[in-house]
Amino acid sequence: MSILSSTGPAASTMRGSHSFDRKVEEMKPSKSDINWVIMDYLVSEGYPGAAEKFAQETNMASPVDNESIRERVRIRNAIHGGRIDEAIEMINEIDPEILDTNPLLHFHLLQLHLIEIIRAILSAPSGANPIATDFLPAIKFATEQLSPRAPTDPTYQQALERTMALMIFPPEKMTPEFKELLDVRLREKVAGEVNKAVLESRGQRSEAKIRQLIRARAWAEGEARAAKVELPAFVPVGLDAEDVSGGVGGGDGDAMVH
Amino acid sequence: MDVDAHDSRSAAASAWRRAHHKDYPPFFIPSYLRHSRHVERLHRAHDEHIAELQEQARLNPPNPAPSLSTSSSNNNLHKLHASHVHHRPAAVQDVIERLPPLADEDQTHPLPSRWSESDKMGGLEILTDGTEVRFGGVTKTSDEAASIRSDHHMPRECGLYYYEVTILSRGKDGLIGIGFSSKRAGLNRLPGWEQESWAYHGDDGYSFACTASGKAYGPRFSSGDVIGCGVNFRTGSAFFTKNGVYLAGVAFNDIKQDGLYPSVGMKKPGEHLRINFGHTPFVFDINGMMEEERHSIIDSIRRADVSTLRPPDDESTLVHKLISQYLAHEGYVETAKAFAQDVHQKEQSLSSNPEPFQPPDSEDDIHAISRQKIRKSILDGDIDQALKYTSSFYPHVLEEERNRDIYFRLKCRKFIEMMRRYTELVTATTSPATVTKSIDSLGSNGHPDLHEHSALADTAANGDADGDEDEDGEPDTQMELDDQLHREASKSLEPPTDDVDMDASQELPPKTSYMKKDDLQAAALRYGRELMHEFGGDPRPSVKKQLEDIFAIVAYENPADSPIGALLDAKGRVGIAEEVNGAILVSLGKPSSAALEKLCAQTEAMLDDTAARGGGAAAFVNVGKDFLED
Repeated sequence: MSILSSTGPAASTMRGSHSFDRKVEEMKPSKSDINWVIMDYLVSEGYPGAAEKFAQETNMASPVDNESIRERVRIRNAIHGGRIDEAIEMINEIDPEILDTNPLLHFHLLQLHLIEIIRAILSAPSGANPIATDFLPAIKFATEQLSPRAPTDPTYQQALERTMALMIFPPEKMTPEFKELLDVRLREKVAGEVNKAVLESRGQRSEAKIRQLIRARAWAEGEARAAKVELPAFVPVGLDAEDVSGGVGGGDGDAMVH
Repeated sequence: MDVDAHDSRSAAASAWRRAHHKDYPPFFIPSYLRHSRHVERLHRAHDEHIAELQEQARLNPPNPAPSLSTSSSNNNLHKLHASHVHHRPAAVQDVIERLPPLADEDQTHPLPSRWSESDKMGGLEILTDGTEVRFGGVTKTSDEAASIRSDHHMPRECGLYYYEVTILSRGKDGLIGIGFSSKRAGLNRLPGWEQESWAYHGDDGYSFACTASGKAYGPRFSSGDVIGCGVNFRTGSAFFTKNGVYLAGVAFNDIKQDGLYPSVGMKKPGEHLRINFGHTPFVFDINGMMEEERHSIIDSIRRADVSTLRPPDDESTLVHKLISQYLAHEGYVETAKAFAQDVHQKEQSLSSNPEPFQPPDSEDDIHAISRQKIRKSILDGDIDQALKYTSSFYPHVLEEERNRDIYFRLKCRKFIEMMRRYTELVTATTSPATVTKSIDSLGSNGHPDLHEHSALADTAANGDADGDEDEDGEPDTQMELDDQLHREASKSLEPPTDDVDMDASQELPPKTSYMKKDDLQAAALRYGRELMHEFGGDPRPSVKKQLEDIFAIVAYENPADSPIGALLDAKGRVGIAEEVNGAILVSLGKPSSAALEKLCAQTEAMLDDTAARGGGAAAFVNVGKDFLED
């Protein structure tokens, strides 16, 4: 599919940052391509409501299987909410092969489960100063679920040791590397891995194209600067009103979603 | 600007016209360059050039031009169309011979396509449309040979260039050189021996890089062998293949310069070579090598860090902002809200104290909602409603001189929509219910159309969208507007008046059950006359062509199956909807493109400039194909 609507030969002979801006103006991706990349993102990363509305507003084909998007969203919500056993159950309902063929992912889920158990103990009323017996459920889970896997891979073993250490350090004395384990962003990270694995198990692309597109923008700038192409010192992506050069008014009226 | 520049309908129409000019060589794309951005651009320039030639031919036909009569009876439309088909080919051929070639070669960098008639040594005979070359002369000294170059140099914007030579006949010693050279290399010796020339020689299998002393490189080659030569402009290296097998090791390194031509040289009378510049499949799997190159580059792009693009935004934040801004900019109001809500829900699922979703303040959204309504009307095929909305919300936008073409295309689209409906009736003859429904729906409400296009058929969302419009507290003018629309719609469905010539309907069996269909055709013809009246006087060829194209629809009993069926495609609505939206944005003092579009354009521009500066990895990336489709 062609991205350029018109590029005269003259464009390639112009030089300088001003001509770069003009060249950008001359190149316009087709809206249907952009709409495609947005739909791809909404489906891939699980935004079912927006995907449905977008199909309506663009007259585009609806996502083939909205229910499968919602299924992935339910798993994501379970992981984000710390309900790991629930998430594992849902993943296995979709396809038990997913975790069987992704031992690392399975381990990450189990590790997260252990972390959630520890987090619950630490945040319990007596959590500020838990006594050893409070940790019994965590130790039980670790010995039953995680320690049999540890010997298969040194990284598992190290991860398990670090997770178990959460029970030893008082929260206020934890170093950043341990605090990381208790950060909810870890849930987000694991949820992302699960989403990819589910997509792959269905033979779908596991990463939304828009991410690659943005990286391509960053990569292209690096290549251009390395080749000493004349570019403005900073090329803004155009999200900020002041980026809009030559515009009569600002673009701030556009910001509907904050 | 050409009215049709971005129009897929007219692209399809010109594809159809092109099919009627078999004499004109079609654009060829070597298989391994199918993905190439540079070739994509050359292809587009080629198509535009042909369109230009056709336009010239139309304006300067050998016979008196078929004039657009003021009386646009159906009969005339028929004639118009007939002349369109039968007179053009000859005229185009004429003009093609007279007009200068595409453009300055130095700027467009076309692909090599044949042996050069002028850039060759005497004694060389070019055969078979420039793909074969035979030596018929005599060489006097042992040093002397006859070399030839291709018509164009290998564009480094392709990233990788490859061609193959078949040895049809070899002289006694097999002194044949295959490689490439710049214009500075002499042609009276074999390539490789001269300055700025590199080649692989058949008599000894040696490789020569700008010097008469070579290095042992590969096997010898002789009659029947196919030798391939490739240059990778990213690595600055060259390689050869023999009968589809890659010859181990790089033949040449440090090939930095631009302007290198495929070149061969011969010494013995009767030596005869055939070159394949990609018109036919290659023996070696160059496609596979190209794919490997591309994948390794795409892999490095996947690892690129985006944190410098808009600090301190990380990738996910940037993605969210770009999408939100695009949705708002384009007026996808409902999606923008739903996206904000989905994002909120995702964030909240991580939080231990969920907060309820606060819908964004909609004070600023009034323009977005207005634009959304206009877009929706166009996408539904309801052009009248779109025109009403536009003149009501943005009274002067379509009157502006710079938007005159958009206005014209909207008006043309209405004609197309009428003929679309007519076509649907023709194809749905077995179902009278459909007929009634379709004809009743022509006017202010395009929903039946939506239901036909499976996408939305089962979402029940169309009703929602309309319901929302009313619930949102439309201004009173809205209802007046709708009333007016209904009146207008019914007016346009009045039975045909006597002055409309019904030729086309006479071609069809006159069954009474099809009367409504005929009414519709009559209405379309009447509207077509209005169009002629309003725009027929426009001197611009693009306008005349567009009018001709759409009126040609009438000539077909079932236009959907005709060569111009693509004109009727509902996809044509999208482009117009976008142009109208863009025009309104500009009139509001906003940039006509969203940040995400700009980001794509920036990426393309950077890749272009980088590739033009020395090939490199940038030449292998195609934003549209790599990132904007599966």
